[in-house]
Amino acid sequence: MINELENILPSVKNDHQKASLQNAIAIGVPSMKHEEWKYTYYNKILQQGFSPAFVVDQQPSVEKEFIDEYAVSENRIVFVNGVFHNELSQFNSHPKINFWNSNNISEISTKDFLLELNNALATDGVFLEIGNNVVSEELIEIFYIHTNSSAIVNLRNKIKVGKNAQVKLAEYYINYDANPAYSNIVTEIEIAQDAIVELDKIQDAGNLFNITDNTFVKQDRNSVVTVNTFSLTGGITRNVLQFDINGEHATANMNGLYLLQSEEHVDNRTLVNHNVANCESHELYKGILGGKSTGVFNGKIIVKQPAQKTNAFQSNRNLLLSNDANIYTKPQLEIFADDVKCSHGATSSQIEDSELFYLQARGIGKEVARGLLVYAFAAEMVERVKNEKLRNKLQSRIAELLKIEL
Amino acid sequence: MTMLKINNLHASIDGKEILKGFTLTVNAGEVHAIMGPNGTGKSTLAAVLTGKDGYEVTQGSVEFDGKNLLELEPEERAQQGVFLAFQYPVEIPGVSNANFLKAAVNEIRKSKGLDNIAPNEFLKLMREKMELVEMSKDFISRSVNQGFSGGEKKRNEIFQMAMLDPKLAILDETDSGLDIDALRIVANGVNKLRTKDNAFMVITHYQRLLDYIIPDFVHVMYNGQIVKSGDKSLALELEEKGYDWVKELDMV
Repeated sequence: MINELENILPSVKNDHQKASLQNAIAIGVPSMKHEEWKYTYYNKILQQGFSPAFVVDQQPSVEKEFIDEYAVSENRIVFVNGVFHNELSQFNSHPKINFWNSNNISEISTKDFLLELNNALATDGVFLEIGNNVVSEELIEIFYIHTNSSAIVNLRNKIKVGKNAQVKLAEYYINYDANPAYSNIVTEIEIAQDAIVELDKIQDAGNLFNITDNTFVKQDRNSVVTVNTFSLTGGITRNVLQFDINGEHATANMNGLYLLQSEEHVDNRTLVNHNVANCESHELYKGILGGKSTGVFNGKIIVKQPAQKTNAFQSNRNLLLSNDANIYTKPQLEIFADDVKCSHGATSSQIEDSELFYLQARGIGKEVARGLLVYAFAAEMVERVKNEKLRNKLQSRIAELLKIEL
Repeated sequence: MTMLKINNLHASIDGKEILKGFTLTVNAGEVHAIMGPNGTGKSTLAAVLTGKDGYEVTQGSVEFDGKNLLELEPEERAQQGVFLAFQYPVEIPGVSNANFLKAAVNEIRKSKGLDNIAPNEFLKLMREKMELVEMSKDFISRSVNQGFSGGEKKRNEIFQMAMLDPKLAILDETDSGLDIDALRIVANGVNKLRTKDNAFMVITHYQRLLDYIIPDFVHVMYNGQIVKSGDKSLALELEEKGYDWVKELDMV
């Protein structure tokens, strides 16, 4: 990997990108020796034959009907192999919502390999600006389609939400032709005061799809932001979600569901910086781990000294379905203010025999009974998706994965 | 017609024998009350008959409609028509009453080689049976037993019984924790479901429920077996004399 990066270095003309690429080379590929990568073997993604590329492969054709099957709204922003796809994308025109595909990629200075890789090699991304007071009823859907490419797809998104605006976004990964796929995506979201925003991340592209995602949210005062992450099928998935709460009376909600039934590996890392007083953060990640799957959860809340009257709650609950499944969970709380309410906790449990028996005693076979109980565990996370169509779609999909009928 | 034939049943849990030679025959159309002090094996009997894990049958037999009940899985017993109204119904957040019962009805139909119930037929059936136990309309979409009061949970058990229409219904302390109104609703539900083709085994600690559900037979259980059987007057006698009287009977 590092060799390959060195090889493409001379062809990079832009100074910023060159610098990022050099940083990436200097930092090196994440290793399990690093504390943040202790349980996730990054090289396992690369070993599937991915290489960094500065130029993406020729864009193949994807039919519009294909997207129709996945989409629940009329607002669609579609990328195929890391490039904006004009014919597949559509947007109900709104004078105060601007979006364009942009190569004006801003830098995130960091010591992180994946971010520097993205800085250097991002091919495209969503640049979306929601004007002040815009209330968008319809969901804005972003599709990352991958088809037969051995290149790492790097996308950089930037979303700005204006004052008092309300918007819901959803992103989906799709593997068009069931070849191994790897997307490294970075999203920055800036939310102005009084805005209400929901972002639903749907990761369900099959077990050949690997994802490393970094999402950074900055919130101003009185804003309410919810990020719901659903990891349903995938190869190796690593989600880094960071909230910076910079204005008072803001609320951050982080919800996650990972439903792993075979050999998936999902690593969720969240960080909430409570930088100012009188804010709330609510975090609930629920995991269902079967087969030989692995879940990693690392949640950190930092309450800075000025952030008095903070309410910060974090919880990670896991349901283990198999002896070969693993969960590594680490909730962390760092509090530098003295007048706060904070809690964190992690649990892991199994399906209760008494619950199973209750369903069996009603004539329901063990497998379906298990499916219903697992569904019951997952259901509250799906309830948090406000868009009804998407919520229904997720409910059916989870039922399908659990082989139950609802 | 003989429906259930329990003969000299011995069962233990964690090596401790709880049922010590329980014998009882139940015919179609009958209501049997099983009474007795706490810790005497009443709930164990219900658990063993319905196939709960953790109980070991060491001796004896149970025949249901001529089949060996003990070799069936719990769901197979339910599919054959055995129903248990739980003493402590389980909460299943996220699964609506409608979805739960649809799953149950369809699994039972599947075991009989029938297709899934049509959605409109199912809804009609639910509405009809909800009336029986005076359930409010929002009940259909509420999660199974979640946030239900004790009375609602027990009413839900009877409602489920009505939906599944079992041959043999075992009511395990259904009256415990019920106020008089809930008790009346539960008992009315049971009474309306009584036919010449089904049978009930009503397990209770108190005589109170038997004012509403009139049993054909009353059996007093003590120390893992039946120590006295009689008609409904036995329940009244028991209420009057207390369970110490039973203990004396056992000594004899």
